[in-house]
Amino acid sequence: MIIVETKNLSKVYNPDTVPVHALRDVNITIEKGEFTSIVGPSGSGKTTLLNMLGGLDKPTSGEVMVNGEKITGMKDSRLIDFRLKNIGFVFQHYNLIPVFTARENVSFIMLLQNRDKNEMMKRTDALLEQVGLGDRKDARPKEMSGGQQQRVAVARALASEPKFILADEPTANLDSNSAMNLLDIMERMNREEGVTFIFSTHDQRVIDRARRVIKMVDGAIAEDTLISVEAANQ
Amino acid sequence: MYLKLAWRNIWRNRRRTLITTSAIVFAVIASVFMQSMNRGSHEMILDNMLRFSTGYIQIQDYRFESEPSLDNSFPFGADFEQNLYEKHHRIESIVPRIETFMLAANDYSTRGAVIFGIDIEKEHAFNNLKDRLKEGAFFDSNNQGAVLGEGLARRLQLGVGDELVLLGQGRFGMSASGIFTISGIIENPIRDLNNQVVYLPLEEAQYLLSADGHITSLLVNPVSDRHTNSVTSALRTEFENSELIVKPWPKLLPELLELFEFDLATPRLLTVILYMVIGFGFFGTILTMTMERLKEFGVLLSVGMRREKLALVVFLETLFISFIGVISGIILSWLLIFYFHLNPVELTGDAAEAVMDMGFDPILPMSFASDQFYTQGFFVFVIAMIVFMFPLIKILGLNILEAARS
Ligand SMILES: Nc1ncnc2c1ncn2[C@@H]1O[C@H](COP(=O)(O)OP(=O)(O)O)[C@@H](O)[C@H]1O
Ligand SMILES: [Mg+2]
Repeated sequence: MIIVETKNLSKVYNPDTVPVHALRDVNITIEKGEFTSIVGPSGSGKTTLLNMLGGLDKPTSGEVMVNGEKITGMKDSRLIDFRLKNIGFVFQHYNLIPVFTARENVSFIMLLQNRDKNEMMKRTDALLEQVGLGDRKDARPKEMSGGQQQRVAVARALASEPKFILADEPTANLDSNSAMNLLDIMERMNREEGVTFIFSTHDQRVIDRARRVIKMVDGAIAEDTLISVEAANQ
Repeated sequence: MYLKLAWRNIWRNRRRTLITTSAIVFAVIASVFMQSMNRGSHEMILDNMLRFSTGYIQIQDYRFESEPSLDNSFPFGADFEQNLYEKHHRIESIVPRIETFMLAANDYSTRGAVIFGIDIEKEHAFNNLKDRLKEGAFFDSNNQGAVLGEGLARRLQLGVGDELVLLGQGRFGMSASGIFTISGIIENPIRDLNNQVVYLPLEEAQYLLSADGHITSLLVNPVSDRHTNSVTSALRTEFENSELIVKPWPKLLPELLELFEFDLATPRLLTVILYMVIGFGFFGTILTMTMERLKEFGVLLSVGMRREKLALVVFLETLFISFIGVISGIILSWLLIFYFHLNPVELTGDAAEAVMDMGFDPILPMSFASDQFYTQGFFVFVIAMIVFMFPLIKILGLNILEAARS
């Protein structure tokens, strides 16, 4: 089942002054259950692409379909609701609400979804256990390490039961242990619960964990490699 | 949870929030205090006017207003009074008066005088008039005689036991003149009255003025000033088809109330200036609170928080800050006024004399009127609304990616 699809997606920044072609005719299709990384050197357009997939930015031309629905051209307020329902986000940094505890950060998303309160609490606790933060539920972001914060961010992204999760360089600010630990968690969620992940990175060890690698150069897709599960596990 | 979020957000920078709320507290205290001082003296003056001059509500002949003459008096008797007490339970006292101008003379000179024909027992029940006597009594053992204001007595050089001549016109142009033995001298707290008033027993006055059974005004006093309006309208309904009209005290004392308003102009202006300064400070706080969180706002919009909800949270923050300021300001200013009520500021010099003239202790009276407190709340709320416009506009127009980059 196709979850995300782009058609001739292009983005030109500053078209009137110094045009920057951040994306050039990008056509990709992401299926449910993928564990896909977008790789490429800095400035190759990874962030721009993820922003387009998440409906955070508008393409210059082309379109983005999520779950069969065209999000390009959607009204701002509808797009916000759409994101809440369909897309989970993990950013490179500054993910969490600083005055909320880990637990509150996770349940806040479900509150926005008007979920039942009991279910919300149960799910929050379960998710925090799953990302290995069962004992840090009441910690605030500034009391946690970068790796722990990113794990809360993953739990939050999962909390809304999105169709897929976008993570823009989620490990960029982490030491390698925390980075691998975060990847372990993401991978397990993917394997056990079929959560679709699309994450960008330029860290080779992270790339090695992906099962599909889309390589970008200069705003265009240069390579799109599927790696079999066996190969990935070797 | 939105409340929790807003509440915690305002304490992210504890010092800044404390400074902002203290500024509001200060503004509230300062403006309540200024007003309370002014209005305290107003209340004192008004209280005197109501008790010794107009009463809370007056019933008059409808022609009396434009032509305050005895011709426009109306009959009043025990059944009239009985009827009012029976029908209106919020009436505490009913005080009949017949009032006119006459000349008061001794052997050599004449002065203008205000004659009050009164029922001393009813009058006393309402305003403790007997307690104001300096000498003598309210009328002699046969309930006859005249009581003079101290100022008038001094001017006419008359004392208790002397004879006073009153000359003037009675009802329908009848000439009126009489000689009265002075039975008492009173210190009336209203200066003008003190210099002019002559109290006569009601029936004596009616006889003198050829107005048997008539009065010019009937003072009706509710159990509490809170009921002035309701009693007024009840009475109006009652006298709808008669020649009598019912006037509550604001209609009886329009000039005085205007004067009070005028007197309040300065504290009001100061309050406005104060609040403008405070408003700018408040705005500065909200401005920085907004600007330093744009990135966070961007994240919240990204993950699916609607702009209205985000704006609501910031609105709650603005409201919290102003509420903390207003509530503590109101409590503190109340305590402050209460303190000055218990430990009053002693007046000295002219001010003290003026206040004592009116029959009060020479202290600075403070008003506890509730509206001076809640108007502060209203002011701060309006300021909060204006201040909130900034984050509101910012949030509604926020570009997520730009916010994330900032
Ligand atoms: N808001 C912007 N305005 C102008 N140019 C931009 C903007 N955002 C990104 N770019 C440019 O677009 C290109 C792609 O950027 P980006 O998607 O951030 O790449 P990556 O995430 O792979 O490092 C870069 O050349 C970058 O300088
Ligand atoms: Mg990037």
